[in-house]
Amino acid sequence: MHKSVDIMSFPPTLTVFFSIKETPVTLTVPLGVISRIEKMGGATSRGENSYGLDITCKDMRNLRFALKQEGHSRRDIFDILFKYAFPLSHGMQPFAYLSQEKYEENGWNVYEPMEEFRRQGLPNNEWRITFINKSYELCDTYPTILVVPYKAPDEDLRRVGTFRSRCRIPVLSWFHKQNHAVITRCSQPLVGMSGKRNKDDERYLDLIREANGTTKLTIYDARPNVNAVANKATGGGYEGEDAYQNAELVFLDIHNIHVMRESLKKLKDIVYPNVEDSHWLSSLESTHWLEHIKLVLSGAIQVADKVSSGNSVMVHCSDGWDRTAQLTSLSMLMLDSYYRTLQGFQVLLEKEWISFGHKFASRIGHGDKNHADQDRSPIFLQFIDCVWQMTKQFPTAFEFNERLLVVILDHLYSCRFGTFLYNCENARDTNDVRTKTVSLWSLINSDTASYTNPFYTPESSRVLYPVASMRHLELWVNYYIRWNPRIQHQQQSPVEQRYKELLALRDQYLKKLEELQLTDSTPSSTHLTNSSTPNAATPNQHITHLQTPF
Amino acid sequence: MELSEHIKTANVEDVTLIRPFLPSLKGTLCVTSHHLLFSDRKEDGSRQLLVLLRNIDAIEKRALGSSGTVTIKCKDLLVLQLEIPGMEECLNIASSIETLSSLESVTEMYPFFYRPSHLSLQGPWGLSSADQYYKETERLLDRWRISNVNSDYSVCPSYPRAVIVPRDVDDDMLVRSARFRHGGRFPVLSYCHHRNQMVIMRSSQPLTGANRKRCKEDELLLQAVIDSSELGYIMDLRSAQQAQQSRMTGGGFESKSCYNHWKRLHRYHERGKVLQESLIKLVEACADSSHSVDRWLSKLENSKWLSHVHNALTTAGLIAECVERDGHSVLVHGSEGTDSTLLVTSLAQLILDPASRTVYGFLCLLEREWIQAGHPFQQRCGHSAHSHTRLKHECPSFLLLLDCVWQIWRQFPLALEFSEALLLRLTREVYASDYGTFLCNSEQERCALGVKENTYCLFRSLLKPEIEEKYLNPLYEHTDLAIWPSVHPQSLQLWTGLFLRWTEYSQNMEDARDEIWNIKKEHRERIGPDQNNHTTSIHCETFTPFENLMDELTVL
Repeated sequence: MHKSVDIMSFPPTLTVFFSIKETPVTLTVPLGVISRIEKMGGATSRGENSYGLDITCKDMRNLRFALKQEGHSRRDIFDILFKYAFPLSHGMQPFAYLSQEKYEENGWNVYEPMEEFRRQGLPNNEWRITFINKSYELCDTYPTILVVPYKAPDEDLRRVGTFRSRCRIPVLSWFHKQNHAVITRCSQPLVGMSGKRNKDDERYLDLIREANGTTKLTIYDARPNVNAVANKATGGGYEGEDAYQNAELVFLDIHNIHVMRESLKKLKDIVYPNVEDSHWLSSLESTHWLEHIKLVLSGAIQVADKVSSGNSVMVHCSDGWDRTAQLTSLSMLMLDSYYRTLQGFQVLLEKEWISFGHKFASRIGHGDKNHADQDRSPIFLQFIDCVWQMTKQFPTAFEFNERLLVVILDHLYSCRFGTFLYNCENARDTNDVRTKTVSLWSLINSDTASYTNPFYTPESSRVLYPVASMRHLELWVNYYIRWNPRIQHQQQSPVEQRYKELLALRDQYLKKLEELQLTDSTPSSTHLTNSSTPNAATPNQHITHLQTPF
Repeated sequence: MELSEHIKTANVEDVTLIRPFLPSLKGTLCVTSHHLLFSDRKEDGSRQLLVLLRNIDAIEKRALGSSGTVTIKCKDLLVLQLEIPGMEECLNIASSIETLSSLESVTEMYPFFYRPSHLSLQGPWGLSSADQYYKETERLLDRWRISNVNSDYSVCPSYPRAVIVPRDVDDDMLVRSARFRHGGRFPVLSYCHHRNQMVIMRSSQPLTGANRKRCKEDELLLQAVIDSSELGYIMDLRSAQQAQQSRMTGGGFESKSCYNHWKRLHRYHERGKVLQESLIKLVEACADSSHSVDRWLSKLENSKWLSHVHNALTTAGLIAECVERDGHSVLVHGSEGTDSTLLVTSLAQLILDPASRTVYGFLCLLEREWIQAGHPFQQRCGHSAHSHTRLKHECPSFLLLLDCVWQIWRQFPLALEFSEALLLRLTREVYASDYGTFLCNSEQERCALGVKENTYCLFRSLLKPEIEEKYLNPLYEHTDLAIWPSVHPQSLQLWTGLFLRWTEYSQNMEDARDEIWNIKKEHRERIGPDQNNHTTSIHCETFTPFENLMDELTVL
């Protein structure tokens, strides 16, 4: 067996060459997915395969290499791997900065906040755009451009900021063009044990409510009730009934990042390295993964339903960057068909996740050797899973396909692109992400055909309400169990495969047709247009023959 | 006694109809000899509901002051509620339904009364037969022949008149072999593989009994199936222990010493009552409307339905593997050879034979392998999952088949010409139908009662004059390859289209199907009627290899 850590290639990969019965096999793993590297066994360990390296990956697999004990064969490879898999722990830059990749499209242009707000119909006489955060002074984890009630002056925003965890004040995420209801997002109020109140915050929430004449502003607190109460002990809390009389508070019972991390760990245990075949369903049930998916989805459904019936809502959890992002982005996906297009989905991720400070660096631990960090959590993966559930239930409503979702998740870890680096816009600006790294959307948008759903039928006004019942949720086998050889064979959907082939074939024939027409038209270019119908129909028939319904 | 005499109250006004996911309706309820009719009698687009009484599995009545509530549980899993004013009317309606929904006499059933204006009784009945299969399948000519030894159903009451048997075996030998097989079901040809001429045979168990009887003719019959140099496999759908035990009751198995060119494999399949109870548990779990469905996956697992699906597909895959990969012929039987045997032989054909994946081919397969092969539909489908009556011979073997086919359809979205809608239609028709196709237990019974003369054929009507679009798969593309379904628990799904059809809103999926059809139609319009097949050759499907399960088996 020959292994090489290829730090010169881009992105840096671990490539292992070995042979199974004389057939050479190559395994290539981007260093970015490595979460943990351990030596197993010692110089005196006995038994086959007891000495070597054990590599835990972030993408639901582990790799184990058995080595020969003679001559400390693993020392060098371990040192190099450890250094380059965790560049941040060794004072080096993330891989994305080494990129020399060139693409036709520049993915950094996909999301322009002003343009997106204009698309939503903003600003207007209810909502205004503020640049109060242009140098991240109001809130260092928010983007620079924010949309707030027209009647709320900037001074008020600062005062509201003092009452919201990490100054993440309520700001607009989405505006319903017909009924003017809005989705706003924020962090928890700093109520504390003593039950503090803040007049500015109370008035500000009333302004949000008044903007379209909603009778009661619905506040969706993503947490379970008990957790919200417990947060009072650390200075947080929730909006009390007395203080916010024009609001109603709904708890959505979604658990915190630690619960989700443990749930995914259990899921990994039953699918890797061996799939738990006997009692598969009850094992799956005991991971609670689908139950969490159900709670997130049904929370988002409630938000979407409220908004589409004309009521403005506010969503928060504790800090407003995990569960809040899940809920706002999923409900926006249900409400606004734009976000179901290939481009709109990118805008949605850029806006609700990246710009609003979902802590990608802390949750994924890019290039960090500290694998047991309590900040790690698969919140974004869980969101993508929810999107996948929706695409399953509405096979024609999304312009993108399953492959896009898998590729996004792969590059969430690979660090080949700058898209998911750092925790917030502020940090991205400081580190020149936009100028020094390539965006994932450059890759995607240079090859849109690969990510297109053949069955997409645009439908602008429909609100999608997925069925969020356990009976209708499925485990995303093609993602979670994809490393299992027996599942691998089923990966590429034959429908998409076929569709791609047909598109390629059509392009090929159209090109041929063009050539034929060129040669045909040289003798007399007017002939075709003047000739009788049967002749004129010939080129058409050519095209039609070559297209096939799939 | 005339049927109408069972009707004590024919009409009730002001009845409220409550259905899942639909607003309740007020209107008139009528009971006829074969139907329950509800109509709201609105001038503008009145809404009606027509339920075949045969479709009603169970009926529960509850008094509510002066009125009563009747809950009707249908065999197609729909549950209806009727609020009927007047206690007497309510009781009358309930008792009429009870009597008329459980008629025993076949000729009193609706198919004998169904007379649509657009169909004629004169036309041909059925699509396929052993005769026809033999004529259409050239590869059979050399070594196989049609035998009419059963022309008066005396050799085997549950077989059709004509069967396909080895050319070298004469009718006398067949008669003797039949005497040695349970119910007279001697080994007959079920399928001959187009690639290598290997065959799938089916029969019932041999009657070796406690003192290990032999039958020379039966041994020769099987020997004639394979060349002397070849090896055949016998797939016994019982455990080795069960097969041993069956000798005590006169049954048995093919011992190695007597059938030395045949290797016996045992794969245990649940039958009868166990399957029926599994279905009941599953339907219960699906209908559980309590909000604590967090135990849903455990309940689904405990019903064991999916493990029966798994088992059937595994055995079918194994048979197909013997035939296609290893080039051996296979004989399949359990005890009677009328349930699991038919289940796995027909699934194996779907895996192997591209001809059986078209609408026509699939219906022919069902006709040959289930209806003519003597699956006792009347006994098996007397009741479905809701019935309170004591079960006798009920068993959802055919439903299990359709579920397995659905799993294949889901895993290979391009490979089958028919759609989920056809499978769903069949799940309904098999329990309650306007047509005579699923009546009776055998060809002999159908013949005696004049089913073919007095009822219409479902399969013919499905195909005539043009197959309805909703029964077609818009993505279908012919492939000659075998399709190997993945049988792992992670690859098998609950058939939500059937089991959750009435419990949760499944409109999304129907909408999506319609849209896919529209996309296809748009393409077709742009292309014109003259389509081409240019692209079929470039398409190569990624089929899942069926792993080799042979070593997991008890080879005896």
